[in-house]
Amino acid sequence: MSEAIVSARGIVKAFQVGDRSLEVLHGVALDVGRGELVGVMGASGAGKSTLIQILGLLEEPTAGEVLFEGRSAWKATVAERARLRNERIGFVFQFYHLLPELTAVENVVLPAMIGRSFGAWRAARPDLVARAEAALARFGLAERLKHRPAQLSGGERQRVAIARALFLDPPLIIADEPTGNLDSATGEKVLDLLLTERESRGLSMVLVTHDERLAARCHRVVTMADGRIAGDARTTTARAAAR
Amino acid sequence: MYRTFLAWRYLAARRTNVIGIVGIMVGVGALILILSIMTGFLLETKRSLRGTLSDLILEPIHVPDREGRTIPYDPEPALAVVRADPRVAAACAQLTWYGILGQSGRDAALANMRMADAQSGKLSGVKLVGIDVADEFAATNFRAALESTPRFAGSRVADLDDPFAPPPGYAPEGRMLPTCIVGEQLASAWNLRRGSEIEIVTGVPDPLTGDFPVNNRRYVVVGTFRSGENEMDLEKIYFERAELADFLSSERRFSQILVRLHDYARDGKAVRDELSAKLHAAGLVKFADGREVRTWEDFRRSLLGAIENERVLMAIMLSLVVVVAAFTIFAILSMMVTEKRRDIGILSALGATPGGVTSLFLWIAFLDALIGAVLGAVLGVLGALHIDRIERWLSSVLGVQIFNRNVYLFDHIPAVVNPLWVAVIVLGAFACTLLFAAIPAWRAGRLDPLEALRYE
Ligand SMILES: Nc1ncnc2c1ncn2[C@@H]1O[C@H](COP(=O)(O)OP(=O)(O)OP(=O)(O)O)[C@@H](O)[C@H]1O
Ligand SMILES: [Mg+2]
Repeated sequence: MSEAIVSARGIVKAFQVGDRSLEVLHGVALDVGRGELVGVMGASGAGKSTLIQILGLLEEPTAGEVLFEGRSAWKATVAERARLRNERIGFVFQFYHLLPELTAVENVVLPAMIGRSFGAWRAARPDLVARAEAALARFGLAERLKHRPAQLSGGERQRVAIARALFLDPPLIIADEPTGNLDSATGEKVLDLLLTERESRGLSMVLVTHDERLAARCHRVVTMADGRIAGDARTTTARAAAR
Repeated sequence: MYRTFLAWRYLAARRTNVIGIVGIMVGVGALILILSIMTGFLLETKRSLRGTLSDLILEPIHVPDREGRTIPYDPEPALAVVRADPRVAAACAQLTWYGILGQSGRDAALANMRMADAQSGKLSGVKLVGIDVADEFAATNFRAALESTPRFAGSRVADLDDPFAPPPGYAPEGRMLPTCIVGEQLASAWNLRRGSEIEIVTGVPDPLTGDFPVNNRRYVVVGTFRSGENEMDLEKIYFERAELADFLSSERRFSQILVRLHDYARDGKAVRDELSAKLHAAGLVKFADGREVRTWEDFRRSLLGAIENERVLMAIMLSLVVVVAAFTIFAILSMMVTEKRRDIGILSALGATPGGVTSLFLWIAFLDALIGAVLGAVLGVLGALHIDRIERWLSSVLGVQIFNRNVYLFDHIPAVVNPLWVAVIVLGAFACTLLFAAIPAWRAGRLDPLEALRYE
């Protein structure tokens, strides 16, 4: 694997609960290479979500450094970090997190809207909407373009969320139990979709999962326990890919 | 870009915004409507307050000094000085005094009843005004007051050019009575018409001897006048100045000189001050400080001030409506921020900055204010322009007369829309709303986005 897209060094994260400080991560280091698919496993409460939110620049570490594409992310300005989240990172959450007032297409183009001024959006709009519609069609949602999230099933919602995460072609995808809220058959399908897209685009991805079979499809599995990395192993998939 | 887009979406999706918009609309509309009507009333009242008041009023103080000398009792020297000023268009002298109005002969019983009634009895205290007809017509609006159609009872004088001529067909049994013209409301109260006979009692205390001789004289009414000024139409009786002076048998031949200027707005105060100085130099007014020469506004200062005050007070009170409306926006937006925590988290994950989130909520408030203030301004202005028709319609629908045209002596509800006020009100509503909205909007930007993303 070439140089890392994101690397975390000596990450400590403590939460202030009342007047006590609760340390959740105790000095975690993790590199995610370009094009690498990293699975994160571990017991509930081990700190998986906290870690990937730090990798995704959503949460500031109490101590330690996050280098995103070689630059220290928390030394950058708020606006620069927002821009990185907008253009360089795609998020897929367990609970989809679509905006309920927007249609499927509007949810998908939202990242493009956030990054653009009024004029730029107006100019690019027809093109962007066509792209969003094509992406949704490819995910089997051609008949659901104008539906609101409330009118979609869980699997459909997650597919919309995946289309949104991929819309601006970010080099890094962060997915926190993307199938955790779906039945296994639907979850399987949605995950296939996500992994196929990742594969064809050659994206880096950090995937939190409790599913051993799914972990086996990753290049590398990081196991967390009590806020530390307990194991970091390459899988057979990785060896197959390397060959 | 997403800010305007989402602001519209949230606005459309959240019915509660309608409450805020309607609140702002009502506040702005009511403020514009009521201020316009107040302004209209102020102008109209100013106009009618003026009544037959002239531009300048000279009231010499005729107090004798120790040797019994006073400034001249005759108006001619002062009139000459006044008329010499090229900015003066016309001037006239008036003699005014007080009297008690009554009736004798076959009307005595009725008059007695009227005067005994505490309510209408006050109508017998009258102001007697002696005028020189030609001078009066040139300097004041009295001719117009004689010409205007009586609104209540009363009748116009027969000959406008010689108003004090005995009424046509008047053939008294005994001596020919001197004539007078009464205000139309007084005529209405006393049931007077052309040819009615009245009796007036008056007295003039003598400053030198200390005597207070009382006179009475009978007059015949030759007509009524309507100035539009309540006070004047209710308590004034006009005579020829020579006749009144004779009745009073006082040395004083005039009480005041009324001056009409070519351009009051431009020259009023300057002419007042110069005339005062000139008249004092000529020994025609007693004091050098100018208290005897005043503009009509000096005369009505306290009344005009009171109305202006009332308008300002009203504006302040109604501004509270706008503040309350802006506060509803605050409440609605606060609710929305709480409700939309998850969305804020999502937007943040998708690359929105805290500033962007804050401005999204400010946009919502801005749109609320925009729609509310524009609708309010349109409704307020339209309402003000058509208030008369609206009032008539409402009165006919409700069956209650809302605006009593007899009380106000204007036959329409006056409303003047001042574009500057409208602009100030609209901008004020905007500023107020955005100020209130800034608090929840700022809070939205500072929310921890992750907090909301952890759970469904
Ligand atoms: N905002 C917070 N304040 C206080 N404690 C927190 C906060 N967020 C997480 N924690 C704590 O940090 C620990 C790790 O949480 P985290 O969500 O990272 O676990 P996880 O490995 O993702 O668990 P799961 O598999 O259940 O999702 C937990 O003990 C949790 O209670
Ligand atoms: Mg988790």
